[in-house]
Amino acid sequence: MKRVLTYVVSICVLLFLWEMASVAVNAINHAALLPGPFNALSQVVKNANTLQRNFWASAWRLILAILIALAAGVPLGLVVGREPVFDRYLSPIIYITYPIPQVALILFLFVVFGIGSATKVAMVALVLFYQILVSARGAAKNIPEEHIISVRAAGASRWQIYWHVVIPASLPDILTSVRVSIGLGIAFLYIAETNAALGNGLGGYINKHMLFQRDRAFAGIIALALLGLILYLAVDGLERILCRWKYVARRSR
Amino acid sequence: MIEVRSLTIDYGTPSAAVRAVETVDFTLEQGKSLALIGPSGCGKTTILFALAGLLTPTAGRVTIDDTPVTGPRRDVALILQNAGLLPWKTVWQNANLSLLLSHDYPRRTADAVLDELGLEEVKDRFPAELSEGMKRRVGIARALSTSPTVMLMDEPLASLDTLTRERIQDLFLMLWEEHRFSLVIVTHDIAEAAFLGQKIIVLTPRPARVKARIDNPKLGSLEYRQTPEFARTVRLLREELER
Ligand SMILES: Nc1ncnc2c1ncn2[C@@H]1O[C@H](COP(=O)(O)OP(=O)(O)OP(=O)(O)O)[C@@H](O)[C@H]1O
Ligand SMILES: [Mg+2]
Repeated sequence: MKRVLTYVVSICVLLFLWEMASVAVNAINHAALLPGPFNALSQVVKNANTLQRNFWASAWRLILAILIALAAGVPLGLVVGREPVFDRYLSPIIYITYPIPQVALILFLFVVFGIGSATKVAMVALVLFYQILVSARGAAKNIPEEHIISVRAAGASRWQIYWHVVIPASLPDILTSVRVSIGLGIAFLYIAETNAALGNGLGGYINKHMLFQRDRAFAGIIALALLGLILYLAVDGLERILCRWKYVARRSR
Repeated sequence: MIEVRSLTIDYGTPSAAVRAVETVDFTLEQGKSLALIGPSGCGKTTILFALAGLLTPTAGRVTIDDTPVTGPRRDVALILQNAGLLPWKTVWQNANLSLLLSHDYPRRTADAVLDELGLEEVKDRFPAELSEGMKRRVGIARALSTSPTVMLMDEPLASLDTLTRERIQDLFLMLWEEHRFSLVIVTHDIAEAAFLGQKIIVLTPRPARVKARIDNPKLGSLEYRQTPEFARTVRLLREELER
């Protein structure tokens, strides 16, 4: 209940600041450049149907991209972090390719995957894959040796070491990287959607209205923020379930 | 019976090999107890890990009941330096780690051991919610849960206050007499070695070599701490460690 209240208060503060900014910007420029929150919100209501269609288009692309990045990045990161052989041969490759801005590949992806959803998902998944891979690798490397030894002494197989120690120990860091991925993913999804404004998607919607119907564009931005918020809360909830031991620890301190 | 013959262990570091243990010999008959005592960093944990099958000796050999130790064994339990509990598992899961890893362990021991150690009430808690003394007891419960014939303990009571320490030492003594496992306890506490080790081996600074062997056959009761034999063993140990 308290958490809900803090969200309500923060949203009110945010809307207030936005209103102030809009009044100031428009007064200085003597033109309606920055729509206020109430104009934007009324557009959200008026365009509920269109927005909803675009919202779901963006949402499933983002979620799919995160899932693909997790499915590829987590196992690879954990193995590279734990197995010296993989570390020796794969880490250099990761470090060489990591700093390349993946967005530079976007035109290439359009060539390969066409201009539909596949490219947008692939673009975002590629960016997030690195994010998650590097986090998972670091988490796996930092596991205290005593945890490994205690299951080894109890006769654990290699697979059991992963299941009982490596995965649970890395989970908090992996979930943190998922949180980072949500923000990052939305940014790159926007880029991908505006580069090929084919089909639905909030990126294309925002871009299309930014010049002449700015209150609609900002309605799109509100929807995008909402998407981020929902996903953040989902990850928080997931962490509370999967990493219950961390929350008890916090309580008892 | 545990037999350790000219045990030598090197750690390979990128630049050179570090010798941690050098030609250590000892034997321990079934059901007896042995304390290993030596300065910090001398190689005590290394010796214990070789007994537990967690690392392979560079030279020499370790056998338990005439079979060479090549990996972790079911009849050997290890209690780690700070209990080795997994933070994401509950007390029950931590105590029954072996059961979680392999389903053919007898289930009966599980709850009985927790009960015996007074952990029944906290079995659904996570380690972070326990006091240090409780954590050590969970470590003991884990070791007992497989009904081992050999119990290896690596400074199981380090960093506990004196009274808690003595109370758990009393508990060890009772468990040892009840279950009759062979006990190897690593410690750098003189009183602990004298209270729990029928044989005591004093080790040199790294690399660990046997510096002295002290027999301490009279132990076995909670009152042993007040006897002249205990005082004598403590004095001998101190002299050997300072020498
Ligand atoms: N994995 C390793 N690689 C290299 N050297 C190691 C490794 N593990 C231990 N050593 C070294 O071997 C020596 C013995 O270590 P060990 O842990 O057996 O000592 P210990 O007697 O148990 O010490 P403590 O009383 O602090 O627990 C130490 O000097 C340590 O630095
Ligand atoms: Mg040690």
